[in-house]
Amino acid sequence: MSGRVTDHPILGRAPERNLVSFIFNGQTVQGYEGEPIAAALLALGIRVLRRSEVNGEARGLYCGIGHCFECRVVVNGEPNLRSCLTPVRASIVVESAVTPPGDWNGGEPA
Amino acid sequence: MTGRSVDLAVIGGGPAGISAATVAARHGLKVLVLDEHPQPGGRLLGQLHEMPGHGWWRGAEIARTMLDEARAAGVEIVSGAAVYGLRPQWEVLVQGTPFETVTAPRLLIATGAAEKSVPIPGWTTPGTMTAGGAQVMVNVHRVKPGKKALMVGVNVLTLTIARELALAGVEVAGIVLPPLGPFSAESANPTKIIAAMSRMAGLAPSPLLRLAGSVFGPSSAGLGAALYPSWGVKVWGLPMYLRTACVEIRGQDEVTGVVLEQIGPDGTPTGRRRTLEVDLVCISDGLYPLAELASAAGCAFAQVPELGGRVPLYGSDMRTTAPGVFVAGNVAGIEGAQVAAAQGQVAGYGIVADAGRIAGSDPAILAARTALAEVRRSSPIQFHPRLADGLTTLARAWEAQVQAQAEALGGRPV
Amino acid sequence: MKEDLIICRCEEVSLREITEAIAGGAVTSRQVKLATRAGMGFCQGRTCRHFVEQLTGDEPGAEPLGSMAYKPPVRPTSFGRLAGEGQE
Repeated sequence: MSGRVTDHPILGRAPERNLVSFIFNGQTVQGYEGEPIAAALLALGIRVLRRSEVNGEARGLYCGIGHCFECRVVVNGEPNLRSCLTPVRASIVVESAVTPPGDWNGGEPA
Repeated sequence: MTGRSVDLAVIGGGPAGISAATVAARHGLKVLVLDEHPQPGGRLLGQLHEMPGHGWWRGAEIARTMLDEARAAGVEIVSGAAVYGLRPQWEVLVQGTPFETVTAPRLLIATGAAEKSVPIPGWTTPGTMTAGGAQVMVNVHRVKPGKKALMVGVNVLTLTIARELALAGVEVAGIVLPPLGPFSAESANPTKIIAAMSRMAGLAPSPLLRLAGSVFGPSSAGLGAALYPSWGVKVWGLPMYLRTACVEIRGQDEVTGVVLEQIGPDGTPTGRRRTLEVDLVCISDGLYPLAELASAAGCAFAQVPELGGRVPLYGSDMRTTAPGVFVAGNVAGIEGAQVAAAQGQVAGYGIVADAGRIAGSDPAILAARTALAEVRRSSPIQFHPRLADGLTTLARAWEAQVQAQAEALGGRPV
Repeated sequence: MKEDLIICRCEEVSLREITEAIAGGAVTSRQVKLATRAGMGFCQGRTCRHFVEQLTGDEPGAEPLGSMAYKPPVRPTSFGRLAGEGQE
């Protein structure tokens, strides 16, 4: 996991955490239990989290703190979860989001 | 539908929310903190500041201490709790939790800030992030968001986070400006940036601002943007190019590079372009208060650019115009985490006084306000050179609002 | 600036669509929102709201009428939840 900051000159060594396996788009990957799904994938060099439903262009992590919903994925069948906030658990099944724009209640004219 | 009932619901588990919650719990209130993130602490978790004479200030350590104190005081903190609405006086609608509503006579809205950006062609390509997002990845989750980064935007956030990326082993290829256009009137103009940064330089005893002093002023400010070398100047050893804008982000599925353009002292493009290979682009145009819930609560607002934009009006005890609703932290104006924590204390005492747990004349109330003023003076980070003017504007708007409300009720001004 | 520049990432609304809406008579950011869906997606305008306001010249973050109004829900939630699904 070359993307990890194991030793940091100011923050010191990263805490010991429990490595678990999960599935991303059919591929078995590993991440630390409890870390955001997006962080685990980023550490593996996986940055394309979904594709635009309009033109197929790649989309990935943008704000990192749950504001923008760009990193939305499907976890164990539950759609539109933000992978920057949703923690890794052993054996979860993560898939790229498929919800087209406008297909949720907040999209209705206010 | 399952619901909880408490004396105080705190929305946002950052430094403001946690410190207010601790004060309230210590005075006997039943306090529930709702935080959307996997772990509480807010953006404090990712912050690092070098303090003059005191070494490094690590936000994660401060957060741990604050959270320990809160729990010891009896505060209940629920993570993964996304608040999606409010019903009056007050029912908090929440998801991601075993309960779906929280009813409380008093609310503290401590939802912090969101990051402003500048849209650049290609900015939806994975590998483009907000500067704050990159900070969270590298300092909180300990994952490098890329190998070689370009920072777009010259401001307190990008300078701070560029250094943090470098500390974690990410190569910082440069700090440049966003392209001139409808979305970047101030932030794409080298002359205006130099003026703003040199005003900041004299304000607070922080290394960042002292650094700004050495790079931006006072002598350099007099030189003007025209004389800044196109090959850049070094900030903490990192190259900053004040006469360069990032005009395009390239890459099919991931960022592979950027197109940079040389710009004039006012940001005007010169047509001289070059490409640079990077795999990470961090854009930031500063922060704005994330005040949606204060709007939903019906709070009155004022436009205060020095505080980051539209902020809820609040009194000296942090109460808003909505009954029982208090605010603290960046939702009330963009300042550093220490200020947010001190403001949380003020709000906490405001809440316990409002709940009748202490007298309005209790010396702790004044002490908390004095402490807030002191923290503001010594804060290691400051986002706007005319913060004090903004606070004055807001205080006057509050007084005008209180007077108008009193007159509307037929009573005398309070 | 490229006309196909994405302004609203959630609803994939381009600069061209917004400038066309403004040319077609949309004056306020709320009118632009209703004409183009910019700001109506998952993030409810947290990212693009400022951009749309800069294009229309609206006061930043201003409300209520004539601009983007903040309305609950501030977060995406399911219809079922809003309808009180699971209530006793």
